[in-house]
Amino acid sequence: MTEVFVIATGPTTLAQGARALGSVTAVNLGSGPVPGADKTLAVNAAGLVEGYAKPIAELLSARGAEVVLFDTDVQSRLLAGKIASYLGTAARNAAEIKLPNIGRMVYGGLAVATESVAGVAVLVVGPGVLPPLEGGSDAVENIALTPDDAGLKLVSTQPKGGESVNLSAAKRVVGVGRGFAAQDDLDLARQLAAKLGAELACSRPIAEGVNWMPTERYIGVSGATLRPELYLAVGISGQIQHMVGVNKAKAIVAINKDKNAPVFKQADFGIVGDLYQVLPALIAAL
Amino acid sequence: MKIIAAIKVSAEAQDIEARPDRTLNFDRAQSKIGAYDLNAVEAARQLADTVGGEVIGLSVGTSALANSKVRKDALSRGLDQLDVVASDEYADLDSFQTAQLLQSALQQTGYDLVLVGAGSSDVYAQQVGNQLGALLGVPTLNAVNKITPEGDHLVVERLLEDAVQVIEVPLPAVLSVTSGINTPRIAGMKEILAAGKKPVNELAAGAAPAGSAQAVSTLAPEQVSRQQNIVEGDPAEAAAQLAAYLKAL
Repeated sequence: MTEVFVIATGPTTLAQGARALGSVTAVNLGSGPVPGADKTLAVNAAGLVEGYAKPIAELLSARGAEVVLFDTDVQSRLLAGKIASYLGTAARNAAEIKLPNIGRMVYGGLAVATESVAGVAVLVVGPGVLPPLEGGSDAVENIALTPDDAGLKLVSTQPKGGESVNLSAAKRVVGVGRGFAAQDDLDLARQLAAKLGAELACSRPIAEGVNWMPTERYIGVSGATLRPELYLAVGISGQIQHMVGVNKAKAIVAINKDKNAPVFKQADFGIVGDLYQVLPALIAAL
Repeated sequence: MKIIAAIKVSAEAQDIEARPDRTLNFDRAQSKIGAYDLNAVEAARQLADTVGGEVIGLSVGTSALANSKVRKDALSRGLDQLDVVASDEYADLDSFQTAQLLQSALQQTGYDLVLVGAGSSDVYAQQVGNQLGALLGVPTLNAVNKITPEGDHLVVERLLEDAVQVIEVPLPAVLSVTSGINTPRIAGMKEILAAGKKPVNELAAGAAPAGSAQAVSTLAPEQVSRQQNIVEGDPAEAAAQLAAYLKAL
């Protein structure tokens, strides 16, 4: 059975998902067991976790690692790239895993490029790619690694203002786009999301164009990719770069005033209409 | 300060078409600098304007780099010079191959700081900067959202999912910047004309480093079949139908 390594920089479900690929050994930069792992090697890291890239790469080499998995957060991604370099290979984004074949999205989600990886596979695994499985053990072995921070000095860490959000855990998601004329009008979408018990998300222009919502809430190839039970797109045209983030949703609903909007081609249920008329009626009817 | 901005030239995604058999048609797609690379060029220019020094673009790629329109476009965005390492062997390189070629170019030209964009416009692995920094053995960070020079080092803000780290970075270093770090300048006629007179330095291009995977296929995703039950007409009536649909889920 393949021994799959999961490198954890924080709370993660990746080891639970990795059980589909083999037995799981987690290297936890924090302390304690990683859920889903058969065994956790706890590093109890101090300072920047990226400083541990080289000793972790040495550990992986010594154990003959064939598959090493990382989450998509900023710190995991840097660790993945550095560790891959030390192991003499590329760090790959994985949207599909059928070892030794790995699929990753290219050209803004227009296509999936599949390749067969030779040697150790260092993979940054998107949310939802490996659904969590039962099992694992609380076995922990503390290991002492010596970091090399290359002279980087962490001066401070300031929590970001506002609430944090985990879109990939949401069963229902309401997405808003440029069909909304003003930021205050998003209250309509918030009321709808509240009625549906849904999280609120958005298209990229809302987060990175007009900055009406934080970037954590934007869906798309460079943002979040989700597999909710319901995705309800309001005022979103449905460009491929956006839809690739939700096209695995069980049900897709679209509300848009342009009947030629591409979103309708990918919707199970669609309303061609003015969101300012449809949303109040829908909120009242729910 | 000698600042290098890494640039990747690739086919523009919006002009690539998926054929009915799910293969891709690149016939109408022109080669262009990645949108996120422009953030690296702009950050490099702003830093050089503050502390003094030069900004050199560095690109590893295919003969698409010989295109004078592509070169001028790059040079009009604030570069002083463009270094290219071009070979048709360099098509479809992975991030480790690209990092190795950049490493050998940088060892020839020297550098104080290498800036890389958030990701390339074709593959978007977000890894070339990370892998390059490890190869060079210098301080390396991604998601850098602000760069402030302070004495002989930099102070950067790094945007994590739930926090902002403030980190002191000694030089030389490799930093990947966010797409929000700045708004890249749009070149005017003056910059475009001046770009034609700026130097392009063609570095020796060796064999492509060994890859770590075999390509299997590149295909548009299979369309999930959707019910496409589309309602037009009276908003209240349509909303009532949708409410019934949602309650039945």
